[in-house]
Amino acid sequence: MKNAYSKLKISTRALAMSTALAVTFLSGITVASAETLTVWSGYPEMAPFYQHVADGMKAAHPDLEVKVEAIALREHEKRVALGLTGGGQDGVTVIELSGSTATRYLENDLLPEAPSDISTFVKDPKNFGTFFSDIASSNGKVYGVPLFRGQGSLFYNTDMFKAAGLTTPPKTMEEFTEYAKKLTQRDASGKATVSGWSLRLSGGGQGIAEKFWTNLHQFGGAILVPAGEGKWKTDFANEAGRKALKQYLDLVFTQKSVTPEMPADADAFERGQTAMFIRESWVIGDIAKKAPGLKYATAPLPTGSIALPTNLYVAGEDGKVGWEFAKAANSPENLVWLLQNVGWLPNRAGIDYTSVTAKQPAFTAFVDYPKSYKFFTLPSIGPIEEVLTRVAAQLVVAFADASMATDDAKIDAFLKKTSDEVNTILDREGLLTK
Amino acid sequence: MLKRKRFFFAILAILPTLAIFAYVRLYPIADTLRLSLFQWNILSKNKPFIGLANFRELMGDHLFLDALINTTIIAFGVLVLTIPMAMIIAAMLFHRTRSRMAGFYETAVFIPHVVSLVPAAMAWKWIFDARLGPLNALLDFIGIPMQNWLFDPVLSVICIIVLCSWQALGYAVLIYLVGFKNLPVSLYEAAKLDGASGPQSFWHLSIPMLKPITLYVSVVTLVSGFNVYAQAFVLASDAQGAPGRQVRVLVLDMLENSFRNYRVGYAASEAVVLLVIVLGLTLIQFSMLRERGKS
Repeated sequence: MKNAYSKLKISTRALAMSTALAVTFLSGITVASAETLTVWSGYPEMAPFYQHVADGMKAAHPDLEVKVEAIALREHEKRVALGLTGGGQDGVTVIELSGSTATRYLENDLLPEAPSDISTFVKDPKNFGTFFSDIASSNGKVYGVPLFRGQGSLFYNTDMFKAAGLTTPPKTMEEFTEYAKKLTQRDASGKATVSGWSLRLSGGGQGIAEKFWTNLHQFGGAILVPAGEGKWKTDFANEAGRKALKQYLDLVFTQKSVTPEMPADADAFERGQTAMFIRESWVIGDIAKKAPGLKYATAPLPTGSIALPTNLYVAGEDGKVGWEFAKAANSPENLVWLLQNVGWLPNRAGIDYTSVTAKQPAFTAFVDYPKSYKFFTLPSIGPIEEVLTRVAAQLVVAFADASMATDDAKIDAFLKKTSDEVNTILDREGLLTK
Repeated sequence: MLKRKRFFFAILAILPTLAIFAYVRLYPIADTLRLSLFQWNILSKNKPFIGLANFRELMGDHLFLDALINTTIIAFGVLVLTIPMAMIIAAMLFHRTRSRMAGFYETAVFIPHVVSLVPAAMAWKWIFDARLGPLNALLDFIGIPMQNWLFDPVLSVICIIVLCSWQALGYAVLIYLVGFKNLPVSLYEAAKLDGASGPQSFWHLSIPMLKPITLYVSVVTLVSGFNVYAQAFVLASDAQGAPGRQVRVLVLDMLENSFRNYRVGYAASEAVVLLVIVLGLTLIQFSMLRERGKS
């Protein structure tokens, strides 16, 4: 009897345990059936766009949960570096990276190749020009899906232009200086209160060097140019470099139309603290939110602009849903939404953006530029961030040195020293042309 | 036999603590030393041993040397400003111990130490603002020319020293206050009978007797001074508007080399240099203050 009782007890316990196991197993299946996708972005303003794309995927994937994690770019770069190497990235993750930054990850097999349908989509010239598909590829294989680009244009305050008697935007770099002088507003003591042309003169990071490169490009120079066979060389310790740097120093120290401590960038433009500045198209969306009453216009730059393409990459096992997300982000409806609501310029060709440009003419300068317009982009080489950060650190020193403003020999020596420093980095990485 | 058992029991009892200590404190230091000898790129598969090449490169790296000089100036600046001020404030607070307001005074001095660093630095950024800051408004009011506090290469370093000292002061005062409370009252009474004034007692009795406290506070202040980062970062950072001059400090340089340039081995060699400097200075402080304390 006792034996039968204990057998019953054991079988009851076994039944309870197997039921618990079955419940756990089934709940596991339920959890697994809810797909989760994480999106890592380095631009907080892009979060609503990715959420919009996710909402659009609901019909095909009702259980898909998309977590958009958009943080400041520098922090995003750290997150990607640690996530892809140290395992911080978990599950399927769509990662937004500029082509130049992604190179290092591709060189070290840290990001997977795109599946064949995505590869065909990206390589199709009807979808993307070769400039964009090449930047999303490495050694002929596609690793990312192009999405948007940073491209600079001039933003100018039309009320201030009118008050200064200026009717058209500047067309040459010499005119930029002349305009800056006329547009600068000063107090009774002669101190500038509104800068004529806001320049990036201080702060940390590589932004100072990128902005300088844009100006340098107008004079025909570049921080780095390809020298064939995967090698590179500097191209700023020359007349173009001297002209570009001298223009900065002239405006800061001689004309005093802009100083490091003056409010700068988009915030200053939106508050009427600067008359003009060069920035990417996202500023249009920013102005619409923060200063909707601001009277302004945009214009192409004299020679050309930076075009910094940002692509979507997918990390994690079985990234099918991630690639689907990257492709969905490139649907015409979503790209029009991106341009209209965020302001970053989509890279996909053949999309009709007239509904946006008709409402917001400021976009015209970004999409309707002269045929001779020349674009440049950051080289897809490993140490590009280091090169730009070091050039930026040197430029900050130059921007604080009044004695250089009228001394060409000093400017040349400075450019030579900076060029040598860049060459040292290129040489260390085996990228310097001999 | 019993003694041996007790010994093994004691070892066993502290073993988990020792293991945790070794894992979280000693292993990272040892690993940093190891990394500094490798070309350890965070992304690359190949991480070759390169001996002292990272250290050789550091010696010619002007950004590292700038960072080293700035950090050293900041650390010693904070030390020189904090220790005497903390001692004087602690002495004043000690003499007000029985006052009704004693608690308020102590709290007021200690609060900056517990305030979160980022909002505090943002507040100081506003104080130092060249155009809108109250500091320049005050200077202008009394007829002194306004200064570009956050942009001038020298003034921007001074700003960081002021901010760090403001934060470090509360902790230093608290420790000195404990020291003052433990000083023997009889010595002060004897000095008073001998006709010593308050300042004389402070100079000839308090300062010498507080040497162990001074040793502790100065070591802690100097070490935290060498690890300065967030203050320099916040005072210069601003995605928009007018950012400040980025004062390059060692920790910032290490972070940049690790996570922007992915050169972890190189950044580790900077960490080793920082470790050697801090260890060296701590030993010097110990030998100076301990020896004199004994004599």
